[in-house]
Amino acid sequence: MSKKILITDDALFMRVTLRNFLVSSGYDVVGEAANGQEAVEKYASCKPDLVFMDITMPVMDGIAATRAIKKNDPNANVIMCTAMGQKNMVMEAIQAGAKDFIVKPFNPERILESIQKVIGV
Amino acid sequence: MKAEYINPFVQASFSVLEMVLGVRPEQGDMVVQPNTFVTEQCNVVCGITGQVQGQVIYGMSLITADKIASTMLGQTIKTFDALAASALGELGNMISGNAMQLLSDVGWVCDITPPTVVRGSNVKISTLSVPAIVIPLTLEEGVIYLTVGLQGRK
Repeated sequence: MSKKILITDDALFMRVTLRNFLVSSGYDVVGEAANGQEAVEKYASCKPDLVFMDITMPVMDGIAATRAIKKNDPNANVIMCTAMGQKNMVMEAIQAGAKDFIVKPFNPERILESIQKVIGV
Repeated sequence: MKAEYINPFVQASFSVLEMVLGVRPEQGDMVVQPNTFVTEQCNVVCGITGQVQGQVIYGMSLITADKIASTMLGQTIKTFDALAASALGELGNMISGNAMQLLSDVGWVCDITPPTVVRGSNVKISTLSVPAIVIPLTLEEGVIYLTVGLQGRK
């Protein structure tokens, strides 16, 4: 059975691009969220195997959303996929519970490597 | 405005535009604008906050915006719809986000706000008390005018 992925990004372009790439790579995109608050809600309803999380978003940012998701499910797998690559951001994301950190613009191979590393398929 | 505020945006523009559009841009001469000026027809405005603050604007003609959106979406767009606007917004977001890393490397810790796309035929921007530096970046699709209006916070 295909692994289930939740995509979180406030940019429609990113959600569409990432969805198309993940589906063509054999994954099942079970939901899309446009901000961190939606991500927390959809995590509970869709129960994905993995979440791709942007950082800079309105309403609730990706780091706060990661913390909230991990609080409800300590085993949650979150990969940050963001344009903000500073060291302090990376540290904050890992401390919030993210398992990997990818800087945009993303390289497709890097995405697949990261999924492999985090959920093993 | 310090050169160390501007250089990260120029460098980030080069690397992101090359990765996303496939060709390295050519940089034109820098121009200083007064605090209110007419911009291009399609502008991606990114707010910068933190130790350096202000706005960075990526401005271009409607034709260039259509061509860049088409390249990013992998097909020629028929109308500049929400998806095309999002592609341009994300381009500005990626350049600004990458510039944040470079700014932090030289000691300025900053954050970006989600981008805003402003389109019109006679758009006037005012950066108030901050002079704006404009750097033209020429691509196959046309010219992106990188406008940087930033000041350090004490």
